[in-house]
Amino acid sequence: MSVLRKPLPLLSVAVLLSWLALLAAALLYAHPGLGGWQLPQTGGIVLVLQALFVALVFLRERIAPERLRGVDFIGLLRQLLLGSALLAVAGVGAHKLMQLLVGPETISGSVLNTAFYTLNLGLFVLLLARTNYAWRALVLFRATDRLRRQWVAFEVMLGITLLLRLLPFSPPVALSSALLGVLAAFGAYLSGRQKWVAYLSRRQKIEAVLLQLAVIGVMGVFVAYFTSTQPILRLVGPATQNSFLLLNAFFAAMYALTGLLVTLFNLPTAGVFEQKREEILSMQRLTQLIQRGQTTAEVYQMFFDSAIQTTRADAAWLHIEANADDDRYDLYHRLPTDQATAIRELLTDFNLGNLEYFNNDLSGGSFRQLHLPFGSLMVMPLSSSKRQYGNIYLLQEPTQAFDRENLSILQTFASQTVLSIENLQLIQASLRTQRVQDELKIASAVQDSLIPKNLPIDNWFEISSYAVAATEVGGDFYDFLHLPGRRLAVLIGDVSGKGVTAAFHVAQMKGIFHALMQENPLARTEREKFPVPSQFMTQANDALGRCLEKSAFITASLYIIDYEHGGFVFARAGHCHTLYYHSIKEEVSYFQTAGLGLGIIRHGGYEKHIKNQFYDYNPGDVMVIYTDGIVEARNAAQDEYGEERLQRMLEESYYLDADQIKAHILADLHEFTRAQPMHDDQTLLVIKFRSAQPEAGL
Amino acid sequence: MKITQHTTDTTLTLALNGELDASSSVLLDTELSKPEILRTQKVLIDCQQLNYISSAGLGVFISHLQTFQDANVKLVFFNMQEKVRNVFEILGLDSLMTIVPSEAEATAV
Repeated sequence: MSVLRKPLPLLSVAVLLSWLALLAAALLYAHPGLGGWQLPQTGGIVLVLQALFVALVFLRERIAPERLRGVDFIGLLRQLLLGSALLAVAGVGAHKLMQLLVGPETISGSVLNTAFYTLNLGLFVLLLARTNYAWRALVLFRATDRLRRQWVAFEVMLGITLLLRLLPFSPPVALSSALLGVLAAFGAYLSGRQKWVAYLSRRQKIEAVLLQLAVIGVMGVFVAYFTSTQPILRLVGPATQNSFLLLNAFFAAMYALTGLLVTLFNLPTAGVFEQKREEILSMQRLTQLIQRGQTTAEVYQMFFDSAIQTTRADAAWLHIEANADDDRYDLYHRLPTDQATAIRELLTDFNLGNLEYFNNDLSGGSFRQLHLPFGSLMVMPLSSSKRQYGNIYLLQEPTQAFDRENLSILQTFASQTVLSIENLQLIQASLRTQRVQDELKIASAVQDSLIPKNLPIDNWFEISSYAVAATEVGGDFYDFLHLPGRRLAVLIGDVSGKGVTAAFHVAQMKGIFHALMQENPLARTEREKFPVPSQFMTQANDALGRCLEKSAFITASLYIIDYEHGGFVFARAGHCHTLYYHSIKEEVSYFQTAGLGLGIIRHGGYEKHIKNQFYDYNPGDVMVIYTDGIVEARNAAQDEYGEERLQRMLEESYYLDADQIKAHILADLHEFTRAQPMHDDQTLLVIKFRSAQPEAGL
Repeated sequence: MKITQHTTDTTLTLALNGELDASSSVLLDTELSKPEILRTQKVLIDCQQLNYISSAGLGVFISHLQTFQDANVKLVFFNMQEKVRNVFEILGLDSLMTIVPSEAEATAV
């Protein structure tokens, strides 16, 4: 069963067996009584076996795998010649050599002669089959369905002629001649199908011509052999009986000859085709470079090489002008810089500096004075809507060397190049942006780590906080610090401006806070151990004055809450007023204190502009401290949220927990600013004082 | 933001119209950075049409404050809207800069 699934080896065996049978029959026919065997002297058996052998050989070739791989026509021709043809020539050569050695008289009619003849006949059939199925691959290369059907018809008709020899009688000569004529004409028609020649390069065409000559030569050898040998042995019967082999030989030769002629006539135009092909290939290479994301220099080099190659320029210059981002960039090819500059200057004088231009006669006109060793010049600018990059200059020694076609292909190259350059720039820009964004994320994470995560907890008060930055890094800050003696320092503030600069000052401000709120070991009294808020602000102002840029300033409020004695002291340095609920008076109001922002005056005298305010709080009092991002938040009509509305919110919610008060305010704020973009950082702290708990600990 | 100028022998008046935010404060900074401004005796800022001032806008006045003081040039604001005045007051700038209700008073300073 497995053998049936592989018809090719099976057929090969059948071919060999049929040839051996043919050999035996031929020997007995030519030498009756050889080895004691006798065969009827009709020759019919020989003809039948010969037809069987031929049919098997052709059938085997027909089902053999396709020999043409892609467009490797030369490979196909070489395979054809090296395979069967050389073998066949060797067979014929051996027979001739033997005749030479032994002498034609002795050999004629000998058993060896018949055996060689039969062998060579077999080889010839093999060659014909190989050749014609190779031609089939060429005829059917990118063929239409119609042509494929025609080919099958041709094969079937040839097959029928093979049966002719089996007829017990000879058909009338007129009929068989007409049939032969029709089939020959069909073969000649199919020989005209030589589309493949167009796909050969110039070198391949020359090689194809030689290979086809060789194929014709091999067949010539056989024809010469058979015409000289035929009279000895009448194996090849009358024309009608051998019409199959004749027709095949005719087609094989005809196709080779036509192919040869077509290839020959195509040779002069091969250069043009190749140039077009080169242009397409250059274009492909150029396009591929974009996708690989090479450097600008590589793209320019690629463009330069492609332009020189496709226009066959003798000298060239690519000049890219300097701009804000890139330096000047030049590529020269066999052109001295002084000549290049002279050409450029001349063109600029005529206002042709950045235009498409070609001049096919440099020996005349204004170019004459330059005494250039070139006859033709072509210039193509590289530009986009964004930028004028520069020009490419191509020169050839002969005059009339460039044409409109060159100009248009060069223009395509140039626009492709500009496209890839700008693509690269976009990629680089996006990479840069990505890096900045990554760094901002880090900055944001660092800043996030500066925000106190654990709010102070004590039975004497509740604190609730809210802070959101409008951008990755913000300018708002707040911090807490426990001081000895059941005191808590609370700092809130806002750096003018936004972004990374503001974020740096936030970090600086927090550093100042922690540095200044240290116990002073030289202090004589308890009160002097820690700076009071106004002192803190004065010192912070001095420190900031040395590093803040001129137009920047910081607002801040510092509260030091003494919850053992139920009071607090604070100073407001230009920061938003403190909103306060007085539980005794049952009233909500803002503390109205004066105080100048930090970093505004830097040459001393700040202490005159800042004051401390003391206040004794009562259980149930609520303090709301915030940044201007809250009160200056805007709605769709561009109205600000405002201090009054904030005050009303506290009036509505003072009796709640600190968390609930915060939530109440924020809910109203978000309702107010609904769907509006945030344009400033927002920070909100709510501190609610509670009655003293006897069991309270730190 | 639109800035209108009016000059007399001793006075330069700048009328600000619109919102003074981060982008428009650059315009104002250019005006206040001109060297000839230090040769006048007084710079009057008409704030009647000034609807909003951001911290960047305040920063421009703050950055020129010291230079003006050193050159003995008075910086006077007048016709300021309540909302804008509130911003100056919260920051404490009213103690450093002269803010008067009307142009007549500004000229008299």
